Amino acid sequence: MSPRRAIAATLAAAAAVATLPWLTSDFALSLALTCVMYAGLTVSWSMFSGVTNYLSLATAAFFGIGAYVTAWGLGTLPYALLVPTGGLVAAAFAALFGAAVLHLRGAYFAVITFGLGELVRHAITYFEKTYAHTVGRVIVDVPGSTAVFLTVLAVSAAAVVTALAVRASRFGLALAGIGSDEARAETLGVGARRTKVAGFALSAFFAGALGAAMAVRWTYIEPNSVFNPFIGFQTVLISMVGGAATIAGPLAASVVFSLLTEFLRLQFPYLFLMLLGALLIALVLYLPGGLASLAPAVRAWLARRAAGDARG
Amino acid sequence: MSFWFELAASGLITGGIYAVVALGLNLQYGLMRIMNISHGEFLMLGAYATWLAYTVLGVNPLVFLPAVAALLFLAGLAVYAVCFRPLAAGAPSVEVFEARSLLVGFGLMFLVQNAAYLAWGADLRGYSFLAEPVELGGARFTENRLVVFAFAVAASLALLAVLRFTLVGKAVRAMMQSPTGAQLVGVDTATLHPVVFGAGLALAGVAGALLSMVYEVSPSMGEPYTVTALIVITLGGLGSAIGCLAGGLLLGLVEAFGMHFTNPSLKMLLSYGVFIGVLLARPRGLFAR
Repeated sequence: MSPRRAIAATLAAAAAVATLPWLTSDFALSLALTCVMYAGLTVSWSMFSGVTNYLSLATAAFFGIGAYVTAWGLGTLPYALLVPTGGLVAAAFAALFGAAVLHLRGAYFAVITFGLGELVRHAITYFEKTYAHTVGRVIVDVPGSTAVFLTVLAVSAAAVVTALAVRASRFGLALAGIGSDEARAETLGVGARRTKVAGFALSAFFAGALGAAMAVRWTYIEPNSVFNPFIGFQTVLISMVGGAATIAGPLAASVVFSLLTEFLRLQFPYLFLMLLGALLIALVLYLPGGLASLAPAVRAWLARRAAGDARG
Repeated sequence: MSFWFELAASGLITGGIYAVVALGLNLQYGLMRIMNISHGEFLMLGAYATWLAYTVLGVNPLVFLPAVAALLFLAGLAVYAVCFRPLAAGAPSVEVFEARSLLVGFGLMFLVQNAAYLAWGADLRGYSFLAEPVELGGARFTENRLVVFAFAVAASLALLAVLRFTLVGKAVRAMMQSPTGAQLVGVDTATLHPVVFGAGLALAGVAGALLSMVYEVSPSMGEPYTVTALIVITLGGLGSAIGCLAGGLLLGLVEAFGMHFTNPSLKMLLSYGVFIGVLLARPRGLFAR
């Protein structure tokens, strides 16, 4: 599909999903909200990490920063302004941090981004305890569930559109070049450092904006719940399941996974996480390219069947 | 004076444990490029095994120490055979292997930690062992902390000796310096890798068994130690066993003094600060030339 047609299809799909608040029950709407949120998170993650092979575990940090922007700002600023602000703060933070650590590769990068999430969580906990004398924050005067859903949907749709646009652009090609061979990309004239920092910040913008948009869903915000490393892992896991180098793969996988999570996590919390762990291992071992790597095989199989039908 | 001695000693005691945990992880990463993020989970299993042996069977934890090491060693062989051997066979490059083994490590972490929750619940478990205080150089310690320190240092030194003076140790060091070169002179990767992976987990198990004598045991106890081990490895330099020992003791001291001068709730912040600082300033370790 050409990028322009893919973007048009995304917008049409988003418009169709936007009618859900008027069609379904509250429960179904909250399920759909989770799906849409993870769709946005995974697409924004694979926009940078899937393409460049820089495995970032910092999604939880950006999400949490966005959520805290809302927690601090709600009451003084309108919700519609807080969402992009949360994204911008997260992106600025990512740019600063990325400029410092993006020369690290492989496991080091993954570990330091994981450490970053923990660092920010502990720092905010300490800061709140010492200066605000509180551990969490109660959020009052929240917008209605329809407004939240539409906001999250808008951010996620923007993430998908951006991902599609980036993939077709010079910038996206530069990112892909860094992913396959960074040294060679540099000799071909890619400013690797600038490109990486920009990509990292762009990806963080959407995670932060989603955090800011989702914050009002919890009436009580505390560092341990919004900086939950689970959000980061789940994001990586979904992208890997779907196929981190693609856009459609993570989108489909996020719907399946969010539904699974919602149904299983509350009833069998430990068993569910064990299953998740086993699934992650099995997937990395046997299907490292994700579900998307099955697509060519399926397409070939369908083509063969169609050819067979035509002959038969 | 005795106060400073006590502070330094308690820092060194914690640091000794850090060194043992980090040594295991360093072996795995230095030799096989497996950044085993589930390392702390196996420490937790060692702690639970010791707790079970003491409370159910009445076995002395110190006597049980070799059994823990053996159990975790076998577990390590199994984990290597199931996860990392096929992974190494299927990965096109070292970088890809590193990223994939990291994800497998996260999977193992989920699996083991939640299995422990399922088996033993989220409660803190503990037992009292050698809890009498003793006087040493004007400072007071409980006996078990001194025993833990002695065993931690002994285990680290024993490992250093093995690496330095035995043929296996030589093979391991050769593999760390140059995998291809070592294979050319006849070092057998197919046996060495699983054995070293098992030895790494055995060290984690020993650290857990030692910790269970002093602190309480819970399914989530391992995670902070994984992070600490990563910090210690960064401090000491990848693949350097002696750097690991020095880095562990150093981090213990930094934490003890840092917490004294600032605030106990800043402990994690301090460790992460050190970690990020070292990674930025000296990514190849404090002692690298």
